[in-house]
Amino acid sequence: MSKANVAQKKGSQGFTGRKKTLALISMTLPGVIWLILLRYLPMFGIVLAFKNYVVYTKKPGVINNIIHSDWVGLKNFKFIFATSDAAHMIFNTLTYNIVFILLGIVLAVSFAIMLNEVKNKFVAKSYQTLMFFPYFLSWVVASYFLLAFLDPTDGLIVHLQRVAGGEITNWYNDPKPWPYLLVIANMWKNTGYSTILYLAAITGIDMTQYEAARIDGASKWQQIWYVTIPNLRSMIIILFIMNVGKIFNADFGLFYSLPMNSGPLYPATQVIDTYVYNALIATNNIGMSTAAGLLQNIVGFICVMTANTIVRKIDEESSLF
Amino acid sequence: MKRKLDNSVSLPAAVIINLLLAAFCLVCIIPFIFVIIISFTSEESIRTVGYSFIPAEWSLEAYRYVLELGDQLWRSYANSFLVTILGTFLSVLTVMMYAYALFRKDFRYRGFFTFFCFFTMLFGGGLAPTYMVCKNLLGLSNNYAALIVPGLLNPFHVIVMRTFFQTSVPDSLIEAAAIDGSGEYNTLFRIIVPIAKPGIATVSLLTALGYWNEWFIAMLYIRDAKYIPLQYLLMKMQNQVDFLVKNSAMIGAEAANIMSSLPKDSLRMALVVLIVLPIACAYPFFQRYIISGLTIGSVKG
Amino acid sequence: MKKRVLSLLLTTSMVAAMLAGCGSTQAAPAADAPAQTETKTEEAAPAADAPATEDNAEAGVDISEPVTLKWYLEGSNVTDDSAVLEEANAYLKEKLNVTLEPIWGTWGDFDDGATLSIQSSEDVDIYFTCSWTKNEYNAFSKKGYFLRLDDPENNLIEKYASDLWNLLPDVLTQGATITGADGYGVYAVPGYKDIATQNCWDVNVPLLEKYGYTIDDIKNADYFSLGDILETVKKGEGDSFYPLLIEGAVLERMVDNTIIVTGDTTGNVLSYIIDPKDPSKEGAYGNTIISKYESEEFKKFVEQSREYFLKGYIDPAMGNAEQANDTRSAKQLSGEYLIGTQSYSLGYELQATQERGFEVAMVPVTPAEIDTTSAQGAMMAISTASKHPDRAMMFLNLLNTDPYLMTLLNYGKEGVHYELEDGLVKFTDKRSDYQPWTNGMGNVTILTPTVDQGADFWDGFKSYYGSAVSIPIIGFSFDSTAVEAQAGALSNVCAQYSLALEAGTIDPETALPEFIQKLKDNGIDEFVAEANSQLQAFLDSQK
Repeated sequence: MSKANVAQKKGSQGFTGRKKTLALISMTLPGVIWLILLRYLPMFGIVLAFKNYVVYTKKPGVINNIIHSDWVGLKNFKFIFATSDAAHMIFNTLTYNIVFILLGIVLAVSFAIMLNEVKNKFVAKSYQTLMFFPYFLSWVVASYFLLAFLDPTDGLIVHLQRVAGGEITNWYNDPKPWPYLLVIANMWKNTGYSTILYLAAITGIDMTQYEAARIDGASKWQQIWYVTIPNLRSMIIILFIMNVGKIFNADFGLFYSLPMNSGPLYPATQVIDTYVYNALIATNNIGMSTAAGLLQNIVGFICVMTANTIVRKIDEESSLF
Repeated sequence: MKRKLDNSVSLPAAVIINLLLAAFCLVCIIPFIFVIIISFTSEESIRTVGYSFIPAEWSLEAYRYVLELGDQLWRSYANSFLVTILGTFLSVLTVMMYAYALFRKDFRYRGFFTFFCFFTMLFGGGLAPTYMVCKNLLGLSNNYAALIVPGLLNPFHVIVMRTFFQTSVPDSLIEAAAIDGSGEYNTLFRIIVPIAKPGIATVSLLTALGYWNEWFIAMLYIRDAKYIPLQYLLMKMQNQVDFLVKNSAMIGAEAANIMSSLPKDSLRMALVVLIVLPIACAYPFFQRYIISGLTIGSVKG
Repeated sequence: MKKRVLSLLLTTSMVAAMLAGCGSTQAAPAADAPAQTETKTEEAAPAADAPATEDNAEAGVDISEPVTLKWYLEGSNVTDDSAVLEEANAYLKEKLNVTLEPIWGTWGDFDDGATLSIQSSEDVDIYFTCSWTKNEYNAFSKKGYFLRLDDPENNLIEKYASDLWNLLPDVLTQGATITGADGYGVYAVPGYKDIATQNCWDVNVPLLEKYGYTIDDIKNADYFSLGDILETVKKGEGDSFYPLLIEGAVLERMVDNTIIVTGDTTGNVLSYIIDPKDPSKEGAYGNTIISKYESEEFKKFVEQSREYFLKGYIDPAMGNAEQANDTRSAKQLSGEYLIGTQSYSLGYELQATQERGFEVAMVPVTPAEIDTTSAQGAMMAISTASKHPDRAMMFLNLLNTDPYLMTLLNYGKEGVHYELEDGLVKFTDKRSDYQPWTNGMGNVTILTPTVDQGADFWDGFKSYYGSAVSIPIIGFSFDSTAVEAQAGALSNVCAQYSLALEAGTIDPETALPEFIQKLKDNGIDEFVAEANSQLQAFLDSQK
């Protein structure tokens, strides 16, 4: 019986099934080749994190150098934890990222839904275009814009304070307002980007769902709640999971350029990436920089796997894999 | 007509929505206007008054300086257009096919290929090994391929594209296509692409932006001025100014000499303007697909 | 599924290894028989036993194989090198059978580009290096990226570059001699350029005279007694004028007579103190390296800075790493300062006067001195990945000793990029197509002087830099490998406090003890101890 069953199953999968699988594999092929060559092949470099990389002068060449360099275990990772600020900068990195992720979702989804309700095509397009502009500006340029307001000598805010006769603040010396400034700056720059993703997802929603909801007498808010949001769920979850993968990484420009790398602001601005940058800028130690990156990736990987598992338990459809 | 009204938000809600969006847009665009103004401000005025929305003295100095690049500037513009258009086309094609396979729930190796792609979002070999593979092994040096190939596939885009397919393509459609005997390629290009247009347009836009803004890749792999794209040409100027300002003590009198002839702040801003404007002009092209879906929907309603 | 991923990764890495194998086969014609490459070098060796004379071709060195040399330079501003290369290569072909392929690195790009090129063992033969770029001379020599030029087994300098070596001042060769991957020796050819450091006040003369002071008033004052002058000018010029335009680190060095310890990558926690009267003698701390920020001198200095800052003499922007440089160079040009700080090189006052459009005077605060950092200001190293080290050395020798070649490669082709006027160089408009960084190339003293410089410029140059004395520990460079983790942590602590303290933007009363405590928490003591034991070993070896 079982034999017959298996045979039948094979048959049903049979020729067309295999053909379909092959066709789908062939579609991934260009991507797979690219991934192997440009991503997987260079991964041999990861061993550098565990090596004291020096040139094998007898016969130089990256591979020879790697082979002949000494294994140093976890020594290259040591500098990340060697600082009395380790806990502080890890806390900063994680906290900022969590705030960015959560606030980012709320803002971008709200804006996308709002844009969807703007019925004038031209106005909607204009909003959407304008929102995207900050994404074009680098953090360095943004930092000059901010400076125009906060400059301790002739910034706009300082001018106002002077006119009002109030006390003049040196913004680049006082870390207290910076957590807010950094969060606002990050939202300002990235909201447009995620909004467009959500907006496109909304646009792709099958219109019949709304029609059905309307026929059932759903109000606008109900439509958003019962049609739009559920349809956005997988996009929200996917973007969330992918951001979680970067939870140990910080946007270097945001924390370094925007506050003009001002020392007194470090309590608010020091994150793993700026620490590593300062630590390695002069030594240029390839082993240590690889180690730092690897550590960030491993943490991110663990977080993604955890998040993905949880999502899978709740809603398999939306999980990443 | 009546039904259309039904589907709109109430007037107060519409006002609030518009106010909120307009406010946010203002915050987004003011810095850019500021950048444009600074780019037309004389260096002298920046030095004495600082940055200001109403400059004491207007000037074309920065743009004149850039224009001195002459032929190289136009050549680089052309390179950037070529790389962006060709790169975006190839990249979106690759991404779309990969994402389609991942989207198919009945694809046997779906999990594996998703992971295979996603894994590279987190782990990489680092700069030096990648550089070695690209340059020595793949010959990505001083050619257009060197500008296109490294950005051909972005795992993030693959995953996002897959999600777009999931939200906009009903399963029933795939089943119907299969029953009709449509091949996978046919299903993707004839059936899915028209439906998933907003998503594809979005990914195309992001890809095009990526290619347009890319300068680091060019710095690594391009030494022949013939292939230099705009972004790198301008970035090079920027890097030079920044470096000289920082290291003047080490480089000696010569640095001071070069430095004093460069329009610094206005140049920085003029470069931004020159880079952003062309891509901002291309924006509506993609947007047509992203926003038009909306309006079609509402007309239908 | 996990198994599959694993197996795929394995396959990938195997492919990688295989491909890499092919790569190295290319590097050495037969990977399995490395002996072959070695014989190649030896072929040249016996021939070179003959004393090297003016022309290597005549000395019987085998140069029959044509060779292309790739040469990575810093700071170039070159858009069209065809005319120059055509002439230079014709000349080099005849002399050395060499074709030159320069890679014109630019300010800002060189750091990433060259470092990556070195780290991935690209086939570039010669790299610019020095004590302040990312491919830092000491660190990269230690990692084996640069070839030892005076290797006892294959002494390239002796073989091909004795002319060059005889011409270089001793301080330069001393400064270039360091401990690298192949022992204590020379790993790059030092460029003969402005090799001394001298810290000066950069004075805005018209403004100074406007308030009835003279240069002598500045000469006779020191940092702690400038207060009166600063106060007068501040009062006269108004609230948003800051008379003291400082670069924190330079100011600290000139006030405290501290010298950078080469190889200290932390933002200078380490310092060596010289005798301000005579830099060739050690200062109050003897021949030891101190933790600068913990010293009494530093405390006194930052307290003074704080006072000046609170009185409004120092721009708050100076305490802000990324803002300070921009603001400073802008204010120098607009003349919005009274006294600035400057690390001096010969002729700077003339140049500054010309650029800024008002009279600028340089008032020396410390005597001109040469330390390891300044001696390593610009160098050319031969990569260990180079397949033609012999020819590269011959080229460097020729470049630094042949006025024709040096002038051609620096100033371009006569009649195109410059004209000769009474034997002096006068640049044409075409010069803007071809402007390499002169000081970055080599021995500048054999260049034809320019019209602006005047015929006897290089004599004056040689006598100024010839009179500069070297500090007692010239040639010492610190190797932080053993305390790398501390170095990383300390750099961050320094970045947080040092500049803001030096510019007075934070209160030393609270911040200095905090800073010192943090330095202690991050291993400053071990760091200084390691430096001192290395210095002791160095001094012992010098005896």
